[in-house]
Order: sequence, then C-alpha cells, then structure tokens
Amino acid sequence: MIDRIIVGLIFLVGLWGLIGKRNLIKKVFGLSIINAAVVILFIMEGGKAGSSAPILEPGVRDIVDPVPQALMLTAIVIGVCVTALALAMAYRLYKATGSFDIDEVRERLDDGHR
Amino acid sequence: MNAQAKRAPVAAAVLSILVAAAILWPLVAFDGPWPRELGAYLESRGLEESGARNLVSAIYLGYRAYDTLGETIVLLVAVSGAIGMIAAAGTTLAIDYSYPAKDGAVDGGEAEKPIRRKAKKNRTDLIEVVTGKLGPVVLLFGFYVMLFGHVSPGGGFQGGVVVASGIVFLALGSKGKPGGGLSSASTLAKLEAAGFAALIAGGFLGLASGTGFFAPPLAGTSPLGFIIALNTVIGLKVGAGIGFLCVAMLGEADYD
Repeated sequence: MIDRIIVGLIFLVGLWGLIGKRNLIKKVFGLSIINAAVVILFIMEGGKAGSSAPILEPGVRDIVDPVPQALMLTAIVIGVCVTALALAMAYRLYKATGSFDIDEVRERLDDGHR
Repeated sequence: MNAQAKRAPVAAAVLSILVAAAILWPLVAFDGPWPRELGAYLESRGLEESGARNLVSAIYLGYRAYDTLGETIVLLVAVSGAIGMIAAAGTTLAIDYSYPAKDGAVDGGEAEKPIRRKAKKNRTDLIEVVTGKLGPVVLLFGFYVMLFGHVSPGGGFQGGVVVASGIVFLALGSKGKPGGGLSSASTLAKLEAAGFAALIAGGFLGLASGTGFFAPPLAGTSPLGFIIALNTVIGLKVGAGIGFLCVAMLGEADYD
C-alpha cells in the first residue's frame, strides 16, 4: 500500500506543477511528472506478479506480467510526443508575447486583439 | 469583476482537489490480486507463437501490431505539429518587447516593433568534440538495441530513441555547420516518411498473402523475421522523427 501512496504523491506533485505554477515550462514539467507517475504505477503493479524479466531465456521461470510493460511502452512514447508538442506551443506563445507567464500571455494576447 | 477574480481561484482549487481525489481514490481503495492468466499464457505459449524471446516485443509487434501502427501515427502527428509550430514561429528570439501600458492606454507608434536577434547558441569546444566523437558510437548502440529487440531488452521504440540521441550528438558536434549528413532536416524527414510507408506496406503484405492485416505474410513459418523487420522499420521511423524534432528545437533545421 505504501508504494501506491508514494506513486500517488508523485502524481500530485505533477498535478501541482500543472495547475499551481504560472510558468508554461513548469506546467510542461508537471505534465511529464504525471506521465512518469502513471508509468511507474503500471510497471510496479505488473511487477508484483512474478520475479524475473519477461525475456524467455532457457531456464527463466516466474516472469512478471509483460502486458503492462507493452502498454507502458506506448504510454512513454505518447508522453514524449505530448511533451514535445506542449513545448512547441509554449515556444510559439513566447514568440507571440515575449513571456512564459500564463497570466501575462493571456493579458498580452487580449491586448493584441483589442 | 474583482470579486469574481477573487472567487475563481478558490473554486478552481476546490475543483482540482476533488478531481485529484477522484482519480487517486481507486489507488488506495482496491487491492485485489493481480490477474495472472494472461501472463501465464504468454509464459507458456508466447515464444512458440511469436518466435520472440522478449515477450514485450512479442506483444507489441506480434499479437498487437495494429496498436503499434496507431502509436506510430500519434508520434507522426505530434512531430508534424511540433515541427509546424516551430517552423512557423521561426528560430529567432524576440526580445525587448514594448507593450502598451496595463491600463490600456495604447499610444501606438513604431516603438512597439520588437527587436529580433538570432537565438544564441550555447556551444563550447568541449561539447562539440565530445558529442561529435560519441555520436557514431551511440548510433551503433541504437542499431544494436533495435535489431536485437526480440531476444534482449530493447526493441524498435527504445532503439529508435537511442538513434535519435546519436543524431542529436552528431548535430551538436557538427562544428557550427548546420545540418550535415544524417543530422540534416531533409534527410530525417525523408527517413521518417519512408519508415512510415514501409510500416504500412508491411501491414498490407499480410493482407495480400491472405494471413491478415499486420500478420506475418508467410503462413506456417515462425513470425520472428517479421518482428525483426518491423522492429527495424519502427526504430528508423522513431529515430528519424524524434531526431528531426530535436534538430528543429536546436534551431538547426532548414525545413526544405
């Protein structure tokens, strides 16, 4: 149980970064931390089913469940994609407004439309 | 307006705490045993059915290759979107913006035109020498991880990311000459497109020979060769895609 609580705390750190920070780059960090927490949770839970890696060399017994690992392989790649896209968006907003602060970005974009 | 502006953060905080609690509650509320049936089936039959010792490779290229196609499409879309945004914004940084005063007094005039300068490149000789020499070694390791993904830890995605690191090293070590050889943006874009076309073609190969979409084209033989081929194609595609993204973020792409 304590391992799940720790993973939940990592998730909350990411959520705090995502919604509590004004800097866009820190928001992207938070997104990345949330992604990492989910990956850790799945690998941890799947790893409780056995003891050795799911690579069937001769003599290997009692492997962990490979299904969550295959799923998380996908999730890691998607996480990288999301991070790259979010960073590109932050860069574009910085180019347009000269700031990473979300409040200033919104203010300056409003000014531009007036 | 002021009262609303004060109330909004409190409401947002309460809402986010509620959402976080709803997401995290199942984490501590349910604690059943992990279902072992699928893992046990894969342990007893996976090597025989897919030919790959690495069961993770057996799943994402043997049993569920169709999902992998969707994953590579997501990667392609994200890379295209990010490249498009970076290319549209350009790689020059704008500094010294002068904005209208906050009370809204727009005075206008030429003084608001932002001053632009080229993005500063944080380079040292040390980085250039080390990354330039290390790049080929990292590329070699990436191809090893890619090609031996069916018998050892690794596979197309992992090897592709290592190849992308090698490409970034080559780009960093290119002594200020942007985009030479493998680290040029046009080569990487072509490589990514060719990898994706080969992946689709590999999927339709099984359809043409009557075994099914993304099924090994030769019925009755071990599908191991097909897994190795898909690993290679995916590795090249992922390596080129992420390498292209990183080269573009370094500000060295020419977007031809």
